[in-house]
Amino acid sequence: MNGSDEGQLLGTRSAYDTMSSVTAAAHELKAPLALLRQLALRLEDETLSSSERQRLVEHMTLTSERALRLTSDLTKSARLEDALFDLEPLNPEQVCRDIAVELAPLFSAHQRELRVEHRSHPLLLVANRDLLRRIVMNFSDNALHYSQPGTAVRIQIQALKKSGMIRVGVRDFGPALSSDMWRTLQKKLSKAPQAIHARPQSSGLGLFIASQFADAMHGHIGVTRHRDGATFYVELQASQQLSLL
Amino acid sequence: MKKTASPPTILLVEDDVWLAELETRVLTKEGEYTVVHVPHAPAAMVAIDTVHPDVIILDVLLGGNTAFALLHELQSYDDTGRLPIILCTNMAETLHLSELESYGVRRIVDKTTMKPDDLVAAVRSVLL
Repeated sequence: MNGSDEGQLLGTRSAYDTMSSVTAAAHELKAPLALLRQLALRLEDETLSSSERQRLVEHMTLTSERALRLTSDLTKSARLEDALFDLEPLNPEQVCRDIAVELAPLFSAHQRELRVEHRSHPLLLVANRDLLRRIVMNFSDNALHYSQPGTAVRIQIQALKKSGMIRVGVRDFGPALSSDMWRTLQKKLSKAPQAIHARPQSSGLGLFIASQFADAMHGHIGVTRHRDGATFYVELQASQQLSLL
Repeated sequence: MKKTASPPTILLVEDDVWLAELETRVLTKEGEYTVVHVPHAPAAMVAIDTVHPDVIILDVLLGGNTAFALLHELQSYDDTGRLPIILCTNMAETLHLSELESYGVRRIVDKTTMKPDDLVAAVRSVLL
């Protein structure tokens, strides 16, 4: 790891208070909805050129997709205990590459890039493809909003040989979390999920959902602070098929 | 604070680049103001020293530090402590102007209900 501090890993949190969950969801949805409203108000300007209008519509589409991803994750999260998830050996690099392609328009519209670091020897982990995808999408969305324009968000995959886990990390390059914020984060990571703040703007709901998804795959998530940003990661069991490679 | 005949300068601290773009367009539409946009509190501290803003429009939830860390920092110095601040936030319903006035906050604008001209009106009112 490049980070100076290793984040405490997030554990399972089974008791997510319903009211807090509703409050957190409302808070998380406020930002994209408020932005959508402002974009729509801007569209009322009859002096806009067709290219400006087209750009605004594109921003509205991408913003609504971001909000819809959260609502979809919330629905999935609420049904997690009732559902059965198939776990299978997966190449996380391929999952991450699909995500990079899917999110390319959003990152491009923000003058950013999402890159997946290639491994010449692919690693396999045991996961549910949909849940892993949702976790990495969540981390990528978080990284998008906290990275500097013109920078690339990097997805890194590495084997943790001692623990037999594979780590999929999303590294952003943005303002460092202050020490106070970091201590608060570390303290809150182990407490009530609604109080987790991945970043100050976040209610922590996205991180909590990612934590639930990781739990469902017998994994966990965590965060590492860097001088110039952060890495949010999920660790999942390496596939035994690794030994065959 | 600068005293020139040029349009008043607004420092816009907003981490959503698309919203910042919309707000900048409204504020500069009539040539009434110059807007300098920064995405977070550390950049705002640098910009305050270089652009000498007449007013700051500040989002509350920012990357790195919240607006409150910046408000504390501004109050540490005589000159920056007198800068009028407009909070433009999704959290307006949970904030009370009376509790923030001592930090230089003169207006709170609710992002979830504001019309584009509300921001211009807020700036005009604090620069009177």
